[in-house]
Amino acid sequence: MARTIPTDTMASTRDAFATALIEAAAADPRICLLSADSLKAARATAFAEKFPDRVFEVGICEQAAVAFAAGLASAGLKPFFCTYGCFITMRACEQIRTFVAYPGLDVKFVGLNGGIYGGEREGVTHMVFEDIGILRAVPGIEIVVPADAGQTRKATLAIANRRGPVYLRIGSGRDPVIFDESVGFEFGKLRLVREYGTDAAIFANGPVLKRAIVAADKLAEQGIKTTLVEVHTIKPLDVDAIVEVLSRTGAAVTVEDHNIYGGLGSAIAEVIAERAPARLIRLGLRDVFPESGEAEQLFDHFGFGVQHICDAVRRLIMLKG
Amino acid sequence: MRPEVPMLIETARTLRRDIFTMIYQAGDGHPGASLSVVELVTALYFKVMRIDPARPDWPDRDRFILSKGHGCPAWYAALARRGFFPLDWLPTLRKLGSPLQGHPDMKKTPGVDMTTGSLGHGIALGAGMAAAGRLLGKNYFVYVVTGDGELNEGIVWEAIQSAAHMRLGRLIVFVDHNGWQSCGRVEQVSGLRDIAGRFAAFGWHTQEIDGHDFDQILSAIEVAQAERDRPSVIVARTIKGKGIPFVENDNSWHKRVPSRAEYESAMKHLSA
Repeated sequence: MARTIPTDTMASTRDAFATALIEAAAADPRICLLSADSLKAARATAFAEKFPDRVFEVGICEQAAVAFAAGLASAGLKPFFCTYGCFITMRACEQIRTFVAYPGLDVKFVGLNGGIYGGEREGVTHMVFEDIGILRAVPGIEIVVPADAGQTRKATLAIANRRGPVYLRIGSGRDPVIFDESVGFEFGKLRLVREYGTDAAIFANGPVLKRAIVAADKLAEQGIKTTLVEVHTIKPLDVDAIVEVLSRTGAAVTVEDHNIYGGLGSAIAEVIAERAPARLIRLGLRDVFPESGEAEQLFDHFGFGVQHICDAVRRLIMLKG
Repeated sequence: MRPEVPMLIETARTLRRDIFTMIYQAGDGHPGASLSVVELVTALYFKVMRIDPARPDWPDRDRFILSKGHGCPAWYAALARRGFFPLDWLPTLRKLGSPLQGHPDMKKTPGVDMTTGSLGHGIALGAGMAAAGRLLGKNYFVYVVTGDGELNEGIVWEAIQSAAHMRLGRLIVFVDHNGWQSCGRVEQVSGLRDIAGRFAAFGWHTQEIDGHDFDQILSAIEVAQAERDRPSVIVARTIKGKGIPFVENDNSWHKRVPSRAEYESAMKHLSA
């Protein structure tokens, strides 16, 4: 079992990304940063001070930023473009698909304010709960949703060493610490976070994983033994390992800070349908627009609370019979 | 007249034959838009650009982006005639398994420096290439040919703003100003006027020329190359369908396949 942090410690995924990017850029002169007036949001002013020539500020225009990044990459650079995930994946969706993913250019996207948790008080315009579904439908781009700041740092270094397009979804800067600093990050591999038993599997990623851990621990105290799995790499999906978990449990709950269409829940449903029949309950945003609010309250309000997870597991076990 | 112009005129005529033949054989394509860029593409590939067909990925090469990707038969013909790939690839255009896609694909076609086709992206892509060249200490030029109709796209003006702000002097953009877009006259469809004035307002160096006159094209490129502190636009007045009389300025040829009689008539004219 991966060592997790039981307290309510917070640490910024944005700062973790920015720190890791400096580290990666020190080792690799091809790494540069695209800003759509998003240097401050990306916490990357220190990067700009350290590598002034390697920052390209295009102003508030995400579409041109992505096309510009494609131009940089075509000439041998390795640009990272960091701004709000909603503007990357929705406003510049076509530029990602046609000018980065299709030619397979080495551009990395770092989307801030992932989910309703990341967007919290900003409201719907600055949240993104469609990004994973949108990008899963695009061939040739990898997708990573790290759980917390420590994992963001390691995931940033991991994707910096990969060739080709990757989307990294991070948060607001007020992000719960989930894993102990000693926990590593292996791209493309799922992680067993709790292995209490095979009554049901719980699949989760991102900050909401914190709640899934609390739920799994609580259920275990009540004699309900789950296997809690973190799926930080959504694409490529670690299908064989997921099949193995499903074949042991025969039942799964997915918990994601995303619309229930297109994200982790859909990905697991696809594996279930094609490879490993099992009962499934998807927890996530149920195809509604959320609203502004405090992050933890939003999770409770929109159905991703600890109680929701526990209830879903119990319901599944009943359905299994 | 510059001494190389007769050769360029002859090459342009060859490319026009290739273009019309490719579209005829493919049974699909955009003749009008391909024919209007022929002199620009010919001047770049047969006189101006520092390229090596044996090394299409040469890091120091000049770059070319056909922002109006639907005109790619002209680009493919130039690349084939210049030796980037065999001439017998040309009849495979738009067919399954062909390296010549309906719109340019940098992964499939040697010499294609950037994938295009979705309109409006050439200047942003080219600005990135020019900025990378500066960071990497290269002295290559980036040439972009954009249509006039595609200047409707907002991303064009985003990139025009950034390229000027970044002082990308090695970015040289041609506007193939043939005056037409899919549904009609550019002025009527979108109200686009005074293209050079609009670029100038963003801080670009601007020139206006006859886009079918090699002397004017070559002179304008020399002037643009000397402009190191800001990007340059060369607004090239062209004729859509140039070189085939019944295609010229007839917008039904925006996307149209010639009949056998039309094809033979065009070949006869271009061989005369």
